[in-house]
Amino acid sequence: MISLWRIFWLEVVALVRSWTAPILVVASLGWMFAANFVLVTDATDEGKREMLVLYGLGGVFALLVVAVLASSTGAVASERESKRLQLTQVRPVSAFAVAWGKFLALAAVAASVLAFPCAALIVSSGFSERRCSHVYRPLLESPREEALKMYDAYMADPETSPMVKKAGRAVILRILEQRAKDHYQTVRTNETASWTFPGFHDWSHANPLVEPSARFRFSNAYNMRDEVRGAIAANGFFGAVSNITQTAVTVPLHLCQRGWDHDVLSFTNVGGNPVMLRPRQDVELLVPADSFAWNVFRSYVAMASILALMAAFGVFLGTALSRPVALFVAFVSLIVVEMGPSVAEQYPDSLETDAIDRFGLSVVRAVGACAKPPSALSPLPSLAADDCVEAKDALGAFAVDFVLAPIVLSILSALVMRRKT
Amino acid sequence: MEEPIVKLEKVSKTFRDFWLRPTVEAVDGLDLEVRRGEVFGLLGPNGSGKSTTIKMMLGLLAPSSGKISLFGLPPHAKAARAKLGYLPELSYLHPFLTARETLMYYAGLCNLPRRVARERTDQLLEMVKLSDVAARAVGGFSKGMARRVALASALIGKPELLVLDEPTSGLDPVSTKEVKTLVKALAKKGMTVLTTSHLLADSEDICDRVMILNHGKSAAEGKVSELGESLEEFFLAKVGSGDDFALADFLA
Ligand SMILES: Nc1ncnc2c1ncn2[C@@H]1O[C@H](COP(=O)(O)OP(=O)(O)OP(=O)(O)O)[C@@H](O)[C@H]1O
Ligand SMILES: [Mg+2]
Repeated sequence: MISLWRIFWLEVVALVRSWTAPILVVASLGWMFAANFVLVTDATDEGKREMLVLYGLGGVFALLVVAVLASSTGAVASERESKRLQLTQVRPVSAFAVAWGKFLALAAVAASVLAFPCAALIVSSGFSERRCSHVYRPLLESPREEALKMYDAYMADPETSPMVKKAGRAVILRILEQRAKDHYQTVRTNETASWTFPGFHDWSHANPLVEPSARFRFSNAYNMRDEVRGAIAANGFFGAVSNITQTAVTVPLHLCQRGWDHDVLSFTNVGGNPVMLRPRQDVELLVPADSFAWNVFRSYVAMASILALMAAFGVFLGTALSRPVALFVAFVSLIVVEMGPSVAEQYPDSLETDAIDRFGLSVVRAVGACAKPPSALSPLPSLAADDCVEAKDALGAFAVDFVLAPIVLSILSALVMRRKT
Repeated sequence: MEEPIVKLEKVSKTFRDFWLRPTVEAVDGLDLEVRRGEVFGLLGPNGSGKSTTIKMMLGLLAPSSGKISLFGLPPHAKAARAKLGYLPELSYLHPFLTARETLMYYAGLCNLPRRVARERTDQLLEMVKLSDVAARAVGGFSKGMARRVALASALIGKPELLVLDEPTSGLDPVSTKEVKTLVKALAKKGMTVLTTSHLLADSEDICDRVMILNHGKSAAEGKVSELGESLEEFFLAKVGSGDDFALADFLA
């Protein structure tokens, strides 16, 4: 325990005395401050805060990702290359303690640095009263299920090109799944569309004084800026929409009568034009949650956890490889993980007829799949939209990214460290 | 007879390049024993494999073949490392730590509680005459000062076996004498010491037993008191004084 603490302490001292940590604090606060003037906003408080979150805090986060990867890849590698690691290794210290202590130090320093801009964000919001909202989506079958249902009909359809029919089942299912995600539903004039939100009825009984809102993103097949007019009803709550398409509208719902026992939210189109929306993405029920400051805090936990994961990954790479190679591999992995999924999705040859394409795409997908559970939560867009970053998601990110994955990576580092002496 | 503290049996080390082609046979079939309480000198010309042997003993390098035991345990066993102090041939220090922090760091790695660590740190700083500069970062230390910090940190865990790789390199004559006195005092207290050196006069003063290493093999081994001639003559006879022809050609 004492030795673990000392290894932790040494790494923290190194980060502080090499000016790495102080410079990062100054740079983060400086950017948060400068962002107030540099970023162009729509001059409303909300718009300003949104930009400050996405580009102010987002910029700091990107800076910290780079800094964490750069210092974590050097944590073991530079000690080994300067032979100082030998002096630790001849002491009664396990290789795991070395890797874990260094990881904890990097993660703690990264988390401490990140705390400054997050605090600055709360202060600059003037401790606003505005609350964030829990976001609920309608209960629908998963895109995968829908794809499986579409498959037979799609293959039997004479309009489906023979080229497509030759492609593998997995490839076609992937295309259909993507289609299901983007599946549009059309609501014509005087028609009503409805969606189920499980638990909504119970919730409204438990919180009789709280009024929810609904958030819609309407599209229109013909005209980018058509008018939408409609009525929303949900379990005794009502609201009216009057807007133009192509923007997200948040409609406050007001209680008119009690006693309807169902979990359904419906939209009735009373305008002159048919409107379209993708129920999997464009219909949300918003329920007031707690304050902006709490939401910043939960986002902070999630972001610090992501940084911790990167630190553990960097320490591992630096143990296995020389410092420059480790740094290179770290950044290449970061780019592949960040850009891989969108490259794979937007790849023009969706039929994957070339062997080499199939190979490349499956590599990118595999890497994406590996990186998915840890990086699934990216809190900044939610924070910017005043959507609640749920506590259970933040805790989940902490458990996986800050604890489980680093333990596994530190065990791997320890195994490699013992081999590499 | 008591089990030797360090025991090497037919130990070899071949360094290999990236393609695993052998480059140097640094140690070749070496048998070596260090017994409790003795000061053992591993002598030999540059590149004869002294440091390599030591690193294998400490578990920092894996031998290509042969068997090594330290306190009857494999060298990477934690229990063996707990009784060990090591001074490497160059003083690798963390430049941003002060002398006192360096010692506290290594005390922590030996799991010494803070109070004991403080006490020993103060004693050792006094002993290596660095108390005045204890609060300065070691990155700014001279070679000899750094050497003394490294020596003190090797001693912080009160080891049973002290391994010194050229302890006097970079030290001035006075400090060299002090280190020699120190080693003798430690040996008298019962500490086992393994030291390497090319400074034969120094080794002659402190070592009970020496082994002369040449090209990774043991050229001779024996008690210093039983040599009958000076260690230097003995050494040159075993290792060869080399020839001066190349120098003569160059100067011609
Ligand atoms: N990491 C290494 N990779 C390749 N060769 C090495 C390595 N370490 C040592 N050697 C080689 O092994 C041989 C023995 O080296 P070693 O450092 O053990 O010698 P030494 O006896 O300590 O010499 P010196 O008195 O100069 O310190 C040398 O030929 C050296 O080049
Ligand atoms: Mg040497």
